[in-house]
Amino acid sequence: MQCREVEEKLASYVDGAANGNAAAIAAHLATCDACRQLAHAQSVARTVLKARAAQLSPIAPPGLRTRIIANTANQPQEPILAWTGRLTAFAAAAMVVLTLGAVLLPVATIRSTTLLAAQLALDHLKCFTIEGDADGAPIAKQQAEATLKQDFDLIVKVPASLAAEKLELMAVRRCLYGDGRAAHLMYRLDGEPVSLFIVPGVSRPAAELSLFGHEQVVWTQGDRTYMLVARGGVGDGLARVASYLRNEAQ
Amino acid sequence: MSTRDSEGDGFRAATLEFLDSLYGAALRLTRNADRAQDLVQDTYLKAIRAQRSFTQGTNLKAWLYTILQNTWRNRQRDGARSKVEFDSEAVERSAEGGTAPRGLEQTPESLLMRDTLNADLQAALDGLGEAFREVVWLRDVDELTYQEIADVLEIPIGTVMSRLSRGRKQLYEALTRQKA
Repeated sequence: MQCREVEEKLASYVDGAANGNAAAIAAHLATCDACRQLAHAQSVARTVLKARAAQLSPIAPPGLRTRIIANTANQPQEPILAWTGRLTAFAAAAMVVLTLGAVLLPVATIRSTTLLAAQLALDHLKCFTIEGDADGAPIAKQQAEATLKQDFDLIVKVPASLAAEKLELMAVRRCLYGDGRAAHLMYRLDGEPVSLFIVPGVSRPAAELSLFGHEQVVWTQGDRTYMLVARGGVGDGLARVASYLRNEAQ
Repeated sequence: MSTRDSEGDGFRAATLEFLDSLYGAALRLTRNADRAQDLVQDTYLKAIRAQRSFTQGTNLKAWLYTILQNTWRNRQRDGARSKVEFDSEAVERSAEGGTAPRGLEQTPESLLMRDTLNADLQAALDGLGEAFREVVWLRDVDELTYQEIADVLEIPIGTVMSRLSRGRKQLYEALTRQKA
């Protein structure tokens, strides 16, 4: 083995994790002063640090523990992907939407239901899983309607929480999708994120789609398109909730 | 209390075992007690919410460190003042240039163990760049595997190894310089 190769593996050699390379490294160290000194330095640094770590480690202030326990009591648990995985899923979804957009835009203009569904599914993922917009306590429908009207100038009838279906209204926000704006009503159905998007001024034929592992139910009432988005496999509760939301949102 | 709640409490109790370690990591990152507490609180909130995504049988401490590091990175990103991403090459270069070019004289381990004050060791650690200090600490104190460190810090394993090597070497040089 050459010095360069040994240097790369020296860290793992020093902590006994070099596995198959240990013998070859040891043989090199026997003949090379520079590498042997480097190994010695690493070994000493590791030993001193390990021996003294306990004395260097700060103790968390007692108040911190108490606050954490208070803050985390009754926190809703996210049922979804590991958050490291979430970002990957999001990135993949974003890529698909960009690609879809590039493919569909010139041909069908932005009026493609699939593209709209893809954009809104992405928005659903983003708001729930990355920005945590619906992490707080449930809100009242009146509050949601007032927020949409005051902050976003959107007059929307917001379906309230429905205890019988374990459906909770968590938040509302304005959503900017490709070429317009929509109201984004964020619910949890037995803890699972569910979004209802209301897109004004757009009429789309009714459809049921499946994109990015999410189910989308699309319908139109008057001059508004509604789209329900939830993760696939939420169960038949979703169908009942869709019909509830459809009736309530009229 | 429902089953789910007691499971949740058990999980929280398990995570609280690592409170001191997380607080230490937060202090190393923020270098400020208030900001460190804030970062740790945020980390716990996220961890408890995301507990179902923790894979049983994997290293809970490494998982918590990952959340902490990620939360810190996001904060850095949001706070426009600071540049988040390490310029890897610059980091490696600074490690080379940081110390006077001299040989590694052999200072016996026993001597350093006996004569190094905690304050000296702390100063030597503080003198390492953040990127090096964290790798060395995660490996030599927390005994995370190379793969776990790579995941926590979002860097390739090769980078973990080279930073570990150089971090330890710098640490040794700082300690022997103090003795000189």
